[in-house]
Order: sequence, then C-alpha cells, then structure tokens
Amino acid sequence: MAVLDRFRLDDRVVLLTGAGRGLGRAAALAFADAGAAVAGAARTAEQLDETAALVRERGGRAAVFPTDVTDAAAVQATVERTLDEFGRIDVLVNNAGGGAQGDGAPLEELSDDQWRRGIDLNLTSQMLCARAVLPHMRERGSGVIINVASGFGLRGGRYNWMYVSAKAGVVNFTRSLAVSYGPDGVRTNCIAPGIFPHTEQALAMWRGGKYIPVGRVGLAWEMGPLAVWLASDAAAGLNGETIAQDGGGLSAIGPTGWAPVVALEDAD
Amino acid sequence: MPETPTEEFVPRPNPQPNEPMFGLDGRAALVVGGGGPLGRAAATALAEAGADVAVASLRAGAGEVMRVNSVANEVWSLGRGNLAITLDAADPVSVEAAVGRVLDEWGRIDILVNAGDAVQATPIERIEVEDWQRAVEANLLAPTLCCRAVGRHMRLAGFGRIVNVASVLASRGMANTTAYAAAQAGVLGLTRALAQEWARTGITVNAVQVGFYEGQAGFGDDPQRAAELARMLPARALIDPADAGAAVVALAADSGFITGEVIAVDAAAGARV
Repeated sequence: MAVLDRFRLDDRVVLLTGAGRGLGRAAALAFADAGAAVAGAARTAEQLDETAALVRERGGRAAVFPTDVTDAAAVQATVERTLDEFGRIDVLVNNAGGGAQGDGAPLEELSDDQWRRGIDLNLTSQMLCARAVLPHMRERGSGVIINVASGFGLRGGRYNWMYVSAKAGVVNFTRSLAVSYGPDGVRTNCIAPGIFPHTEQALAMWRGGKYIPVGRVGLAWEMGPLAVWLASDAAAGLNGETIAQDGGGLSAIGPTGWAPVVALEDAD
Repeated sequence: MPETPTEEFVPRPNPQPNEPMFGLDGRAALVVGGGGPLGRAAATALAEAGADVAVASLRAGAGEVMRVNSVANEVWSLGRGNLAITLDAADPVSVEAAVGRVLDEWGRIDILVNAGDAVQATPIERIEVEDWQRAVEANLLAPTLCCRAVGRHMRLAGFGRIVNVASVLASRGMANTTAYAAAQAGVLGLTRALAQEWARTGITVNAVQVGFYEGQAGFGDDPQRAAELARMLPARALIDPADAGAAVVALAADSGFITGEVIAVDAAAGARV
C-alpha cells in the first residue's frame, strides 16, 4: 500500500507539451488516472480539445493552452495561464518534438533553415519551457521535469542529422538541470522512447516490430506508467537519468536478430 | 532464440494495461540477497504492491539468514505470502533447490530480484585470487545462476520480470574497488545480453544501478564516513534504499517494452562530470 501511494499524483499539476496526440495524449490520460490535473500545450487546438475531453471522461481535470513551444513569449504565457488555472505546476513534461527536418538525405542537402527549425522544436523548446517553470518550482522547493528524448539521442542514425543532435542535446540538458537544481528540490529525468508508430502506415514501415528485439512495437499507453513513475515521489532517487523504453533496441548491437553459436567444448 | 530474417514474422502479443497501474496482486517474487538493505527494500516494496515474496539469502551465513527471516516476517505482516529461504546463491544446486521450493509452494515465479551486494574494498596489491573469486561469485555468478534457474519456468510461462541490482561503481571508478567494480560491471553485461537472449519470450531483464546507499557496507554503514561521502555527492545525501525498492516495483509492473535497460537510482551521482 505505502509504495503504491508513492506512485500517486493526487492534487499534482502537470504541464505537458505535445499533449494533442500520440505519446503526449497517452501520458495525459495516465497522469489523470494517477490523480493529477493536466494542462496540455500543443500547436493544434482541436487535438488538444480531444485530449482534454478524454481526460475529463476518465474523471480527470484538464485545461488546454494552444502554444507554439518554440516561441519564448508563448511559452511564458502558457506557464502563467497554467498557474492562474491550477495555482501551481508540480511537473513539466517536455514532450513536444519530432519532424524529420531534412533528415534522411545526405548532409549537403540539409538547409540551414531545416536544421534551425528542427533544433528549435526538439531542443530549444525544452529549454524555453524549463526556463519558464523553474523560478516557480525553485521557489516552492519542489518540482519534476521530464524531458522526452529518443533512442536517436543516444546512438547515431544513418543520414539522421538534426534529430540525433537535438535529442542528444536533450539527454545532456537533462543531466545539467539535474545537477544544478536537484539541490533546490527539482528532479529532472528523461524518457527515450523507441518505436511507437501512431499510424497503420508507420506500423507497416516498421514491419510490426520485426527488427525490435522484443518482437513488437511500443503501444502509446505503455509510456504512461513510466511518465507517472518519474513524476511521482516513487522516483525520488532518480535525477539526471535517461530511461529507454524501446523493446531492448539500445541494449542490442543493432537490429540484427543474429546470435553467435559456439559449442562449449570448442570455446576456449 | 533470436529470429532469423527468413522466418515468417509474427509480432509478439500486445500487453494489457496493469490495473492498478503499479499493482502486483497475484504475482510471486523471489528476492535473492533479501537480508541486505536493498533486498529488504525490494521485498517490502513488492509486498506492499501486492506480490507474494520469497526472501532468500545471498550467502548462508548465520547473520544473513537471521536478517532474511526478519524481512520475510515483514512481508507476512504486510498480508502477503512469504517464504524465508537459506541460499548460497553462488552454488547452482542450492539455487535450483530454492527455485524448486518457490514453485512447489506457489506454482509460479513472476519476478526475480537479484538484490545481493557484496562490497569488497581492497587495494589491488592485496587482492588474492580467492578474494577476486569471492567478489565475482557473490556479485556476478549469483545473479547469473538465479536468472538461469528461474528462466526455465519463466519461459514456459511466457512471462517474467528480472531486476538485477547493480552499483554506480559498475560505470564510474573509485579507488580500492577493482574486484567489486569489475563484478558489478559484469552485472550490466549480463543484463543486456540476457535481455536480448530472452527478448522474444515475454521475459524482461533490467538493472537498477543504485548509488551509495544508507546502510551499504563500506559506504553507508559508518555514520561519520557516510557523512563525508555524502558531502561529495550532488544530492549531499546517500540513497534511501526504499527508492531502489520503488524502482523494482516500477520494473516488475512494466508492460514489457523496457528491457536491457540500466536505470540509475543515484540522485544524479552518475550524471555529473
């Protein structure tokens, strides 16, 4: 009982970017199930409203703030509106990101603008949101920041330039936040999701998980409990850590499905 | 076995969400090294989350057997099924017997936690081959044998959650810990390789890499020395073993997409330059 109480988020307020779909929406529902109020930020108002409706269907509290997370003033306004609405922010989840801005092609074809826009969306946005909530969290002496990176933040990808660089930045930004503001009671950790296809097309592209060690792709809801754990007091000992949720992808040496066979009597 | 690309691929079945999110009702756990601070934290956290817990010693010394009995009593007082097992986890016969006993009692083992921690702190000039072997047996051979022994059952069941507890010293160096650090680093290798070997069986294998914790032999058992060590750490404090216990619960309740992963519960000790 006691340990399960530590995983609860009753009366906590979560500000979640990229809440309109995919992993963000799934995390919003899990936060609501754990007892938290969810302030969702994203570009597209319609998708945010759908997420909020789903949260309320489960008996949760939700507010939505359409936000361009690459715009410092917009981010500041969303933080203030969240504080107006709920009075506090206990948890920031920097989930917004994505987009292969010029990735997948030779480097000489990458435009300066593609690089900058990609870095803005995937890395700068996380700095802007953290910068905007930190004064509030430090003043209260408690807070949790969860940054969403990617397996591509920990390994290179063929013809992948902006995304690997931005996500690696997220992983190390997490560590510096952790060592800087841990003493103030603010914990910062990172989730590195593997393959979570949101469409049938993407599922087909990944062959249903054929080259993922566990033999299936990730389901969006699976990230919910991980995000809840990191947001909760049950993760009090975690700071600066990046947790991969990728079906064993990063612990493998590539998607080979190959294993050596050496007879024991011959092995010396 | 890893699938070869020529075979027809059928995705593994999708899991269902846990209800409640981190609840372990109906699960059976074996916690090896259950008499130490981390083992006690894991065993009681698993029991609080709803699991029945078999608490086994790492080595069959009288002191540890007494501590194991005491932890098993705590599990019982939490209202869960309990077993206290005297085990030499570096002896394959003893390990097989312990696993057999849990299966006889409960008919299942869903969760294995290798929580044993045998600190050895000696300058390398004074480490004899026997000392090295003791460090490797307790810290690395023991979890290997326990994984092997539960694996047969877990593979048949198509489900298993294995959590190996390791030290921050598996990844960062500190003087006087060569044998211990090498054995601990081995636990990370064991975890990653076994996660791959059993990736398609429904068994996940992960490690919880704990920073210096309260009560840890050589680091957290002497108050004055522990305070000196704590001052060197980003959090200015040692790790509360209960936080490692909560991580074990999170991994035991996971839906199965986290495997081969090493999760540091070290309050940023490993995150700093």
